[in-house]
Amino acid sequence: MVHIDNLTPGMVLSRNVCDRSGRMLLPAGAELTEKHFSIFRMWGVLEVEVAGDAIVEETETPPPLSQEIDPALLAQARAEMERLFIYNDPEHPAIKELMRICTERRATRAA
Amino acid sequence: MLRKPQLSVEHMVDDVSTIHSLPLFYSQLSEAIDHPRSSIGDIAKIIAEDQGLTARILKLANSPLFGYFSKIDTITQAVTIIGVLQVRDLALALSVMDVFKGIPEDLVNMEQFWKHSIATGLAARLLATSQRESNLERFFVAGILHDVGRLVMYVKVPEICLELLEHCRATGTLLHRAERERLGFDHAEVGSALLKRWKIPPRVAEPVGTHHDCGKGDQYPREGAILHFADLIAHALQIGNSGEIFVPELDHGVWERLQISSFYLPTLVKQVDATYEQTVSALFGGEDATR
Repeated sequence: MVHIDNLTPGMVLSRNVCDRSGRMLLPAGAELTEKHFSIFRMWGVLEVEVAGDAIVEETETPPPLSQEIDPALLAQARAEMERLFIYNDPEHPAIKELMRICTERRATRAA
Repeated sequence: MLRKPQLSVEHMVDDVSTIHSLPLFYSQLSEAIDHPRSSIGDIAKIIAEDQGLTARILKLANSPLFGYFSKIDTITQAVTIIGVLQVRDLALALSVMDVFKGIPEDLVNMEQFWKHSIATGLAARLLATSQRESNLERFFVAGILHDVGRLVMYVKVPEICLELLEHCRATGTLLHRAERERLGFDHAEVGSALLKRWKIPPRVAEPVGTHHDCGKGDQYPREGAILHFADLIAHALQIGNSGEIFVPELDHGVWERLQISSFYLPTLVKQVDATYEQTVSALFGGEDATR
């Protein structure tokens, strides 16, 4: 699964892209162009599956945190989030993402 | 902790639902809307009689939350553009915010309480949009009202609430679990019982009652699921506070059912942050509506 922000023209779909109601927008095997990205956005498609292992691996590492944030503030925010989320599983994809967003948001605001 | 058997959900809302009643205005409005022969003009006239409410509805209708291009400057326009049921839902949210006043500060800071509720309402509305739900205002209202049961408890059993708050701070327990352990029910059930007494439709009352226990909802499981996750978001963003000091535990089944990509979360958070300030200012209406 690749987020549409990380797609580049020329990537090839490994699975059909459907909108929320299940209507097919683009079949597997199609080569992506810029125009497709705006169509995906228009129909609320946030992620697609593309062929090639390298690309998939690349998206598995979370997007790097903004460089401008002071690492000390970031660590402080991280500790605060760990306390706040103590009743949640930090490995759950939604919780993991939420903790990442909130850590960055808190550190940015503290700066 | 020992459970006191004489306390029941019904007992909690017994006199609270009459002492803290919805303004007569809301039932008049509901009646007019349900009446087959009333026109938009009739409905607008009832709302326009309450000037404070009118101003706040218009401010809300013109806020980025709705994203209309033209300016909405009369209630008739608001009713026409946003829709009758939506305006009723907004009026409900605003009316309830005025009902509970004078609860001691050591129990709850009302401003913080409503801020948490507004953030939950916004998140619920945005989540519902992403799920292509219709009639979005019911999600917003459910968010605004989701913790109203806490206010009932603060009014009815202030000593127990204070004890519970202190217990949770000292031991790091989730408040809704502590409520259940101590009383046998939680604030969600109390809130839902109050809304039923007030004759608020079940599409709002049920999700409020199940937002910590989504398995219980039988008629509106999607609404309950959206509300459950919206509450989590508001806690994670640390906007306002209604007594709970941790992010409540995510029900993994609920997450599965919602079919939200975690890639959507950054957008969601951005949208909540972008609309929050203006929604707060519209709902608090500039005057001292928070006490």
